[in-house]
Amino acid sequence: MTHLTRRDFLKVSAAGTATAILAGCAQETERWVALEPYVRAPEEQLAGIPNWYASTCRMCPAGCGIIVRVMNGRAVKIEGNPEHPVNRGKLCARGQSGLQLLYNPDRVTGAVRQGERGSRKFEPLAWNEAINTLYEKLDAADQAVAIWTGSATSGHLCDLFARYAGAVGAPAPLRYDLTSALNSVGALAAANNALFGQATLPGYTLAQADVIFSFGADFLGAWLSATGFGVEFGQFRSQRFGKRGLLVQFEPKMSITGAKADRWVPVQPGAEALVAGALLRIIADEGFGGAERAGLAAALAGEVDLDAAAAACDVPLADLVALARAFAEAERPVAIPGGALAGASNGVAAVTAVQALNALAGSSGLGFTPALPTALAAPGWSSYAEVQALVERMSAGQVRLLLVHGANPVYDLPPGSGIADALAQVETIISFNPLVDETSALADYILPDRTYLEGWGYEVVQPAFRGLPVVSSQQPVVGPFHDVRPTGDVLLTAARGIPAAAAALPWTDEVAFIREQITALPKGASGGDDDEVRWARFQQHGGWWPEAAPESAAPELAAQGTLDVAGAAFDGEAAQYPYYLHLFPSVLLGDGRGASLPWLQGAPDPLTTVSWQTWVEINPTTAQALGVDHGDVVRVESPHGAVEVPVYVFPGIRPDTVAIPLGQGHSDLGRYARERGSHALHLVGAALDDVGANLAWSSARVRVTKLDKKQALARLESTIDPGEDIHVPF
Amino acid sequence: MAEEQSNGHKWTMIVDADKCTGCQACVVACHAENNVPVSSEDEVIRGRAMHWMRIERYWEGEYPNVKARFLPVFCQQCGNAPCEPVCPVYASYHSTEENINIQVYNRCVGTRYCGNNCPYRVRIFNFWAPRFDAPLEQQLNPDVTVRSPGVMEKCTFCIQRIRRGREQANIEGRPLEDGEIIPACAQACPTDALVFGDKWDENSRVAQMVPSERQFKLLENLGTEPAVYYLKGGETHVGE
Repeated sequence: MTHLTRRDFLKVSAAGTATAILAGCAQETERWVALEPYVRAPEEQLAGIPNWYASTCRMCPAGCGIIVRVMNGRAVKIEGNPEHPVNRGKLCARGQSGLQLLYNPDRVTGAVRQGERGSRKFEPLAWNEAINTLYEKLDAADQAVAIWTGSATSGHLCDLFARYAGAVGAPAPLRYDLTSALNSVGALAAANNALFGQATLPGYTLAQADVIFSFGADFLGAWLSATGFGVEFGQFRSQRFGKRGLLVQFEPKMSITGAKADRWVPVQPGAEALVAGALLRIIADEGFGGAERAGLAAALAGEVDLDAAAAACDVPLADLVALARAFAEAERPVAIPGGALAGASNGVAAVTAVQALNALAGSSGLGFTPALPTALAAPGWSSYAEVQALVERMSAGQVRLLLVHGANPVYDLPPGSGIADALAQVETIISFNPLVDETSALADYILPDRTYLEGWGYEVVQPAFRGLPVVSSQQPVVGPFHDVRPTGDVLLTAARGIPAAAAALPWTDEVAFIREQITALPKGASGGDDDEVRWARFQQHGGWWPEAAPESAAPELAAQGTLDVAGAAFDGEAAQYPYYLHLFPSVLLGDGRGASLPWLQGAPDPLTTVSWQTWVEINPTTAQALGVDHGDVVRVESPHGAVEVPVYVFPGIRPDTVAIPLGQGHSDLGRYARERGSHALHLVGAALDDVGANLAWSSARVRVTKLDKKQALARLESTIDPGEDIHVPF
Repeated sequence: MAEEQSNGHKWTMIVDADKCTGCQACVVACHAENNVPVSSEDEVIRGRAMHWMRIERYWEGEYPNVKARFLPVFCQQCGNAPCEPVCPVYASYHSTEENINIQVYNRCVGTRYCGNNCPYRVRIFNFWAPRFDAPLEQQLNPDVTVRSPGVMEKCTFCIQRIRRGREQANIEGRPLEDGEIIPACAQACPTDALVFGDKWDENSRVAQMVPSERQFKLLENLGTEPAVYYLKGGETHVGE
C-alpha cells in the first residue's frame, strides 16, 4: 500500500478502479485520464470539449495511426491520424470498430481461473494471486515454457516476451495467427529474400504506378495494410494529366480489388505462377518494353510452352500477349502477389514468379521498409513449420506452460494440425486475451491484458509506405475500463522472482521499457531536443518517423537463373471433389477477431451485401447445374472436413470454384460471434507448401451437395428479381 | 423553400465512383458518429437493416466479362426535397442556413410519409427501441441523440460537425475554411472517394469538382436537385 490521500481515494473510487490502486500502482494512475465527477474538473477537461489522443490501431498488424476522441473520460470515436505515414488520416471499418472491443459486453473483467478446461466456469482471482501463479508456473516450467503471440500483441510485448524467453533459455516466442497466414507473410518474405536478399514485406508504392498487376492480392480489402494501400490507390486513380492507371487483377473469385480493376482475369486456381512465367517469356520473346526489360525477362523466364501455359491458366494467349505488352511498356509497372495463390501448394514459387515481374522496371514500386537507426525492429512472423514443431513439442509433453497473447491458435489452425490434442498435454495454459476465445476456453487461467485503447505500446510498422520507417506509438486514451492489468507489467513483476529473467528484464514497468526504446531513437519529424520532449512528442504525434525517407536505391535483383513455374497441386481427386475451394478473409471480420464486434457483424459484405452470416459463393451456371439458388443450404465437403452453408449465387467466380469467407464459425468469442456461421478452415488440411514452411491453406478441392434446407440470407441488396411480384413482409 | 445563395452555406458531397472500393469504412464510421443502432440478422432478413449510408453494388455483364460497381448512397439532401412537403408536423424541413434537409426527431410522429416519398430510400424508421448491450452505450457520441422508436431518421451530413465547426470559426472570428468540416464518412474513406464542402464557396474543392464531365446525380430526372454529386467510374483498357 502506498500513499493514498483522501482526495486520491475519492478520485479513484469515482473511477471504479480502486482495486488497481490498492494493489500498489499509485504512480500508474497518473498515466491515464481518470473518470471523475466535476466537483473539481481536471485541468485538461472541459464539459463538451473533446480531448484527442494519438495511438496505434491494433485490429490488424498494419500499424495504422489513430486519434481517439475522448469526451469526459469516454472514448467515443476513433479516427485516422492525419500525420501518420501509413494511413494518412484514413481508417478502415475494422479500425473504427476498436471501440467495441474496449466496451465489449463480453470482456473478461479481471483475472480468472478455470477449474476444468472447457467448462467456461471461471472463478475470479485476485491479481496478486494471479501474478504469483504466473511466477510459480514460470519458475516451475523453466525452459519448458512456450509463448504464442499474434497480430494483437503490441511490439513492445513481443520484445519483452522475446527477452524473457532468451533469458531463461526457452525457445523464442512464436508469432503466428490466421492473419499472418492469410497475409502470406511467410511466402512474401521468402520470395523477397530469394529475389532481392531482403526478407521483409514490401509496401508497394501504387501512387506513382501507371500499371498494377495484382495476382490474388486483395490489397483494398483485407490484405496486409489495406488502408495504406487504399490511400495509395486513391492517388493512383487521380494522377496528373487525367491518367487513371491500369489495374489488372488475376484471381478465381472477384475480390473488391477485382471489382475495382479495369480488367478482372479469372485465372485457374493455382495457375497464377504460370501466368507470371508466361508474361516473362512473352516479354523476352517479343522484346516488349525495350532491350533492357526484355533482356531481364529473358534471364528470368524459364522454358515455357506458351500454348500449354495459356490453356493451363485458362487465359487466352492473345490476352496474355496484350497484357505482357501493357506491363512491359508501362513507365512504372508494379506486380503484387498475395492472397490465395500464396496459400497454394506452390505458394513460394508463385509469389516469387510474380514478384520477379517487378524487377523488369527496376523494382521501383517495391518500397521495402528501411531499418531503424537503433536495434528496434519489427518482430518477425513465425512459419507454419515452427507452429508444427511447437505442436509436436506440446504433444510430447515437453511444454509445461503455454502463454497465449493476441492469437487464438484453436481457431487459427486447421483441426488437422492437432492443436486441440496438443493443448491437452500442456500442464498449464495461461491466456492474456481480453475476450474468452476458443483458446482461452481451454486455458487454466485468463489474465486479461488491457485492450489497446487502455494500454501502452509501440509498433514497428511493416510494411511501411513511401520509404519512411515508422515506430507507431500506443498510449492509453481512457482509464482501464475493467480490473485488467497490462501483460507487460504482469510479466515484469512475475519475472522478478526468476533470477535469470530478472537480470534481463530490469525495468520497473513496461512504460519504462518503452520509454527507453523510444528515447534511444534520434530526433524524428516531430523534433524534440531532450528525451523528455521526444517522449512526449512520440505520444502526441502518434509515433516516430524521420522527416524525409532515408536515401535508398531500388532493390537489386539478387536471384540468378530462371524461375521455376509449375501449377499447384490440390487435395482430393477431381472426380470425387469437382470444385476448387477458394477461401478469403472477410473484408470486415478479417481473420475472425472482428466477429465479436456488432458494427462489423452488421456491416454488409461489399460484394454480396450479406451481414451476420457465412455463405458459399457459386457461379450462376454451376448453381443451375446443382439446382441451387440463393439461400439453399449445401454441404461443402473436402477430404478434410465439411461445412453446411447457404448459397449465394455470385457472378464473379469461376464455374469450377466455390468461395467461402473466413471469420465466422466461432464457438466462443462472446455473444455476437458465438454459434454463428461456419469456419471454413475446417475444410483445409495441414499440408505445407513447396518450401515446407507455410501452411498450404488454399489447396483443397471440394464437392457440393444440396441439402433439403433453406436459410434466408441477411442481405442488404434488393432480393426482388426482375418481373417478380413484390411482397412487403408486413 | 427556395435556396438563396445570399444565405448561409450549400453543403455538398462529391462521390467519386471511380475510387469507391466498397470497403465499408464510411458505413461503420457513420454508425459510430451518429449512434446508428445495428440491426440483428433477423431484422436484416426482413429488410429492416439500419444504415444511414449504404454501398449499393451493381453487377454488370456476365461471367467472365462481369463487373461489380459500387455506389455509396445516403440522404441526397435535395434542394427540392420530396420528403419535406408531405410531413404533417414539419419534422422534415429545409434549413435555410445550411441548405440541407433536416429531420427533427422530437417533432416526428412516425407517419413515414417522408420515407414513402423519398425516391432514394435513404430514410429509415425506428421500428424498435435501439439496443446497446451494456457497456456498449459508452461508445455513444454525446453530440448526437439516440432516436426513440417510432421516429424517422437519416443522414444529416453530420450536422453536429457542421455546427461545431461553424461555432469554432465564430469564436475565433474568422470565416470557415474549406476542408475544416468533414463528415465521418468522408473522413474515414481511405481512397478519398468522398469529398465534402460548401459549393457556394467558389474556392472549395467541391465547387471545383462539380463541373466535372464525369458528374451525374441520382434520379436526376425527378428534379429533386440533390446536393450529392456522383462522378462516374472510368475504365482503362489494356493497351491504351
